This record gives sequence, structure tokens and C-alpha cells, in this order.
Amino acid sequence: MEGRAPRDRLRGVVQDGRAPPIPPFLQRPVRGTGSGLRATGECAQGLPAPASRGSSPPGPRRTPGAMRALSGLLGARAPTPRLLLLLQCLLATARPGSADDSAPDSPFTSPPVREEMLEKYSNFSLENHNISLTEHSSMPVEKNITLERASNIKLTCQFTTSGDLNAVNVTWKKDDELLENNYLVNATGSTLYTQYRFTIMNSKQMGSYSCFFQEEKEQKGTFNFKVPELHGKNKPLISYVGDSTVLTCKCQNCVPLNWTWYHSNGSVQVPVGVQMNKYVINETYANETKLKIKQLLEEDGGSYWCRALFQLGESEGHIELVVLSYLVPLKPFFAIVAEVVLLVAIILLCEKYTQKNKKHSDEGREFEQIEQLKSDDSNGIENNVPRLRKNESTGQ
Amino acid sequence: MAKVNRTRSTSPPDGGWGWMIVAGCFLVTICTRAVTRCISIFFVEFQTYFTQDYAQTAWIHSIVDCVTMLCAPLGSVVSNHLSCQVGIMLGGLLASTGFILGSFATSLKHLYLTLGVLTGLGFALCYSPAIAMVGKYFNRRKALAYGIAMSGSGIGTFILAPVVQLLIEQFSWRGALLILGGFVLNLCVCGALMRPITLKEDHATPEQNYVCRTQKEDLKRVSPYSSLTKEWAQTCLCCCLQQEYRFLLMSDFVVLAISVLFMAYGCSPLFVYLVPYALSVGVSHQQAAFLMSILGVIDIIGNITFGWLTNRRCLKNYHYICYLFAVGMDGFCYLCLPMLQSLPLLVPFSCTFGYFDGAYVTLIPVVTAEIVGTTSLSSALGVVYFLHAVPYLVSPPIAGWLVDTTGSYTAAFLLCGFSMIFSSVLLGFARLVKRMRKTQLQFIAKESDPKLQLWTNGAVAYSVTRELDQKHGESVATAMPGYSPT
Repeated sequence: MEGRAPRDRLRGVVQDGRAPPIPPFLQRPVRGTGSGLRATGECAQGLPAPASRGSSPPGPRRTPGAMRALSGLLGARAPTPRLLLLLQCLLATARPGSADDSAPDSPFTSPPVREEMLEKYSNFSLENHNISLTEHSSMPVEKNITLERASNIKLTCQFTTSGDLNAVNVTWKKDDELLENNYLVNATGSTLYTQYRFTIMNSKQMGSYSCFFQEEKEQKGTFNFKVPELHGKNKPLISYVGDSTVLTCKCQNCVPLNWTWYHSNGSVQVPVGVQMNKYVINETYANETKLKIKQLLEEDGGSYWCRALFQLGESEGHIELVVLSYLVPLKPFFAIVAEVVLLVAIILLCEKYTQKNKKHSDEGREFEQIEQLKSDDSNGIENNVPRLRKNESTGQ
Repeated sequence: MAKVNRTRSTSPPDGGWGWMIVAGCFLVTICTRAVTRCISIFFVEFQTYFTQDYAQTAWIHSIVDCVTMLCAPLGSVVSNHLSCQVGIMLGGLLASTGFILGSFATSLKHLYLTLGVLTGLGFALCYSPAIAMVGKYFNRRKALAYGIAMSGSGIGTFILAPVVQLLIEQFSWRGALLILGGFVLNLCVCGALMRPITLKEDHATPEQNYVCRTQKEDLKRVSPYSSLTKEWAQTCLCCCLQQEYRFLLMSDFVVLAISVLFMAYGCSPLFVYLVPYALSVGVSHQQAAFLMSILGVIDIIGNITFGWLTNRRCLKNYHYICYLFAVGMDGFCYLCLPMLQSLPLLVPFSCTFGYFDGAYVTLIPVVTAEIVGTTSLSSALGVVYFLHAVPYLVSPPIAGWLVDTTGSYTAAFLLCGFSMIFSSVLLGFARLVKRMRKTQLQFIAKESDPKLQLWTNGAVAYSVTRELDQKHGESVATAMPGYSPT
């Protein structure tokens, strides 16, 4: 497939019996007319795709009806597939666009079945995502997109190169499976634009969609579609035997359809039933769930999983619960109390010891003074006075 | 020979066992102020466990802070009448019991009572006696000793915050409260360190002491007669309280009290509103937290260096003016704050404010001791910290109301800035008035000097001049009723 011109690609695919891509005259529309692009997109969506490809967008469902309607319009004789396709595309270009782009004015009316199908999907929101690549991009560019409900998707890849734009081969893949149709290519100046439109309605359609630009090197841009993730806590929740605890699971900016709780002590996951005395599930807000566990026992410890169910898949969060007995914090507590008692005892004993020493030295000094006074009695008054004074000063 | 009970009265040692007292006071500030600040780390856990909102859980911190400050006079009364050691040990036991009972709490009301009231009461019994004790042991190096002792709150918060977080992760909040209760029991160790010391100043007014003591002895003798004991008890209590709190009538102390009210009103909202203000001017969460850490660390540096600085010879006699200056600079920083709208401007603000915040906290006990003297320091500190309580409680909500009504932080910060500047200006004004009075009296005294000088030669002349002095003293006293020789 690589290296072929778009015209060749078209012919080759038709010969193989697979869904024909966009007719060549519609592939490179006039610059600036977004409506032209839109029309070809719709045309691409309406074209039949082989039923064997499970991952392809819901083209197959549409095409039998479209074919029947067209055959009805054209008469009893079933026209050749190619002519039918041509007419279909002409009608598609005449139809006004369903989204923001300006609608072309056309005298044709669109087939009623097509209207109905498009109306069904126009309830969904439209998501636009872009990736820019250049010929010098060394690493593949990835974009992560979170989706919770069914929506219409429009993915655009743009490729800037100095070389010849015609020589670039553009392909789209979903999870390494090639997507054949429903994408269009547009060139403006030195930039090549390719666009892929489809609708995501169930979890099978989620995954990675990639656009490839093949020149000398292959440049890749990937859009990863995932359901919103639940962020679990890294640190375990600690509680005590006989106490109660609350496990919380929260989803930012998303509203799951349903929440379920599982408990695994080991490897088996057991759903948490709502036993009146033990478990209480509280869901006041739609984006969070709280599991309250009362009368904790040691067996209640382990891993708890909260599962959020979305339209497009499931997401899981993990909380670890550890149940301790009261003896665990008591050990450091008693260690500290013992240290305090020891220190207080040491300090008070030291104080008593120094006080006793002081008292002894005091008594000793008093005794000395009394002795000196007795001995000084015999001497004159003049000798006493200076001595007493000296004793007083040393005594203090 | 009868033994004479000699109470050895000394001068403040300025060292020796004094450094153990400083270490004890350092540990007391860690166990009281730092632990109070770390209680707010438990709030997230309380919110999830008791399913209450932030406002309900924040009451715990307010109750502890308020009770600690309101019951500070009770702490000084207990330590004066029993003994500093017994008072602080009792406080340690109470606070520890509060934490231990709190770990078994089943509702937020239980936590208000145990963690709030009981622990706050325990802290109150420890805080002001410990600080007063440092003042008794130091005279020349008082500011440095206080700087080291008060730095405990900053260093303690710095160390305890990650430790408490770790404890909560390992043992959940119940186990963490239990272990924190054990840690707070170390207050008993600090209490044991506070050896009593009797200073010379304690015998300054022997008459009143004698009256109180004789009344106490009489009380013991007439104990069988119940009606008389009540009367005696009341008069004794009145007499003792009167003697202890006579500093309340000093004009200097009244001025200090009023200025402390305004200063406490101004200083508390910054710690609550700096982070929201920084976020409102466009600073990120991490940078705002960084500002708070700078504030904390520079607070510690301010404590110690300002204490050391004001002990230098050039500033030794100017503690009052240094305190004025620190409070005034803080007020000035507040006034500049509404103009600082980016991170490079807020960092120097944090540094300056933190430094002077640590500075004036160190100098509060020093200035109080200078005004009331060392004997009444314990009771005076109790009153000063009591005056902190109501502004601490009232100021952040008023600032919050101003922010909500005006829509910006300017009004709240300007009010706090003016409050602090008013506090410092009031003190400066009072000191100025006092000095003017002194110079006036000195001037009058100098006028009468020449007559005296003629008579100061020789012992005989001395006695004559003394008589003349007395006469002159009397005449001077009658001429100016406000004169009192200082």
C-alpha cells in the first residue's frame, strides 16, 4: 500500500473487493473550503466497508440501507457499485454539514436514512484532537484522551515537510490494525492534513488510533483513548481493632454509572456485601463512594478495590487497609514514660545530693565560725572586727 | 545551740545551673508552643474520621491557644504558692492526660474537652513559670538566655511537624496522639530541673512578708474554729494577692499592658493570612509554603541573634528601645505588604517580618522584668500572656471579615500595621514623658545644690548638710507632689 498514489490506491482497493476509498476528484478539495472536506468525510463514512473488520467504524451498518435507498431511487435495475458510490458521494456533497463548518448550498436533498442515522449520533458530543508532526520529529508523538461516554471523534494529524507532499503515504491504524477508509487527506502549502472521523460507542472501540506519514522515515502520531482513571492512595490506611474506618474512592471530573467494592485478602477478590452491622456504603455525590467498615477485626485488613463502571469501560482504584492492635503504639509510649520517670528520678536525686552537700558545708562553716569566735574571745575587739568581716564575705 | 534556718539569698548566677534552666525552658517551649502548632496537622485526619468540615476541627487549635493564654495567671499563682517544680510537673501530667484521653475520643466534642481544655490548662501551668524562672537565674545575659529559650517554639515546629506526620502515617491519629502524650510528659523532666533560687530582691519588703507570714501562722493556730478560719483565710488571701499583684498599679506596667494588647492584635493574622494573600497575588502553592518556612526559620534566627545582640555592651541598657524598634518594624512591614505583589518582593518581607517577630518575642520577658523586677516577674508574665489571649482569639476573624467585605487584604493588613505601630509609639511616648519628668526634677534639684556643696567638707559639716538635706527634701516634697526619688 505504501508509496502508491491515491488514485492507484483507490483502484487497487476496489479490485480487491474491499471498501473503496474516496473518489480522487473529491480527495483534494479547493483550499479553504472546509465544507468540501466535510462532504468527503461524510461520503467516506457512508461508503461500504467489509464486515470482516470488527474494529472499523460503523460503516457496514449504514451501507446496506444506503445502497438499498439509492437503488430504490435509481430504479429497479441495480447499478454498478462504482456508479452507486459516485452518486452517493454527489448526494453527500450536496448535504449540509452536521457540525460547526459552514454548509455548502446545494440543490440536492440527502437520503432520509442517512439523516436518521446521523441524527442518532448527533446527540453525542464531538471531540476534536490534533497532532502536529514534522519530517524532523525524532520521537512518535502521543496524546492521551479520557472518555467516559459515547462521542463522535474527529482526529486530525498534520505533517509539515519540505519535500514533495504527493510522495507522502498517509495511513491510519487502530492498535496495529490498518484502517482502510473514512479518512481524508488535504494539502495546504507545505502541510499535509489528514482527518479521521468515527464514533466511539462501546469499550471495544477504545484503544490507540495512530496516523502514519511515510516519506523516507515513518512519522507516527498516536491518540490513546482511555476511561478516566481512579487514583488510589499510595499509603496504607491504618486503623485499630474494634474501631471503624472509612474508605473513599473519588473520581475527578467524571461521573461513573455504578460503583462496586471488592475485598481481597490474598489473591481472591470477593465482592463486599452490604451487611447491616458491618458495611455501610455511602454515595452522596455521584463522583465518589465511601465504604464505612465498623467493628474492625484483624482479618478485615488487606486490599480493597473500588470499581467504577462507565459506558465505555471500567476503572479500578486500590486502597490498602492495615488493622493494628492497641499494643502496637503502647510500646513506644511506655518507652517514653520509662525514660521520663528515669530522668526525673536522676534529676531530683542530684538535687537532693547537692543540697545535702551544701548543708554539710554550711554546718561545717558555721562550726568553724563558732570555734573562731570562741578562740578570739581572748583577743581584742580590733582583731575580731576584720576577721568577722572576712568570714562573712567568704560565708556568702 | 539552736539551728538557724538560713535561706541563702544570692544574686542571679548568670551561668552554672542557669544554663540547665535555659535548657529546661527550651524544652518547655517545644512541648507547649510547638506541639500546639502541630495539632493542626491532625485536622485532615479528624475531618475524614468524624466527617466534619474544617471550621469545626479548627476550633481545637483555637481552644488550646486560648486556654493556654487565659490560664497563664493561674500558672504563675500555682508556681508561686506551691513551687515552680511542682507547678510545672502538675502541668505536664495534665497535658499528657489530655492527649491520652484524646486518643480514645469518639466524637469531636470529646476532643474539644480533652485535647482543647485539659491540654491547654496543662500548658498554661508550665509556660509562664518556666519563662519567669529563666529571668531569676540571669541578669546580665538575660536577653541571650531568653533568646535561646524562646527559640524552642520555632525549632520545635520545624522538627516536630515531619515527626508528627510520620507518626500519623505509622500509627494513625489515635496512636500518634498517644505517643505525643508521652512526649509531652517530658514537661515533668523540665519541671524537675527548675531548682528554686532565693534572690536578694525577695527580701526587699520584709514588712509585708512578715505580716502575711504571721497571718499564716495565726491561721494554723486557730484552725479548730471554723468561722474564724474563713475570715483569716480571706484576709490572708487578699493580703497575699495584693502583695503579689501590686505591680498592676504601676503606671509603667499599665502602659506595657495596653501596648501588648495592640501588639498581640497585630501580630497574629499574618500567620493565618500570608498564604492566602500570596496565592491571591499569583504565587503558587509550593512557593507560598516556602514563604511560611522562611518565616519560621528566620523567626528562630531572630530569637537567638537579637538576644545576643541586645546583650552587647552598646545595647545593654536599651532593651526597651530595641523592643520598641522591633515592634515598630513589624508594623512598618505590614504597611508595606499590600504593595508587594510578587514572589521576589514577598521573600524579603518574610525575612524581615520573621526576624523582628522573633526579636520582640525574646524581649517581652526582658522588658517586663525591667519594669516589675524579678520577684513579681512570674505573676507579671502571667498577666502579660493573659493579655495575649483575647487579641489572638479575636484578631484573625476580624481580619477575615474585613477581607470578605472589602474584597482585598489591604484593609486588614493596614489595620494590623497601625495597631503595632501604635503599640510601639505608645511605649516610646510613655518613656519620653518619664524622661522629661526626670530632667525637670533634676533641674530643680540642681538649683538647690550650691548651698549644700559649701557644707560637704568634714564629718561635722556632713551632719549639718544632712539636716539641711532633710529639710530641703521635705520642702521639695511639698512643692511637687509627684516627686519620688528613683
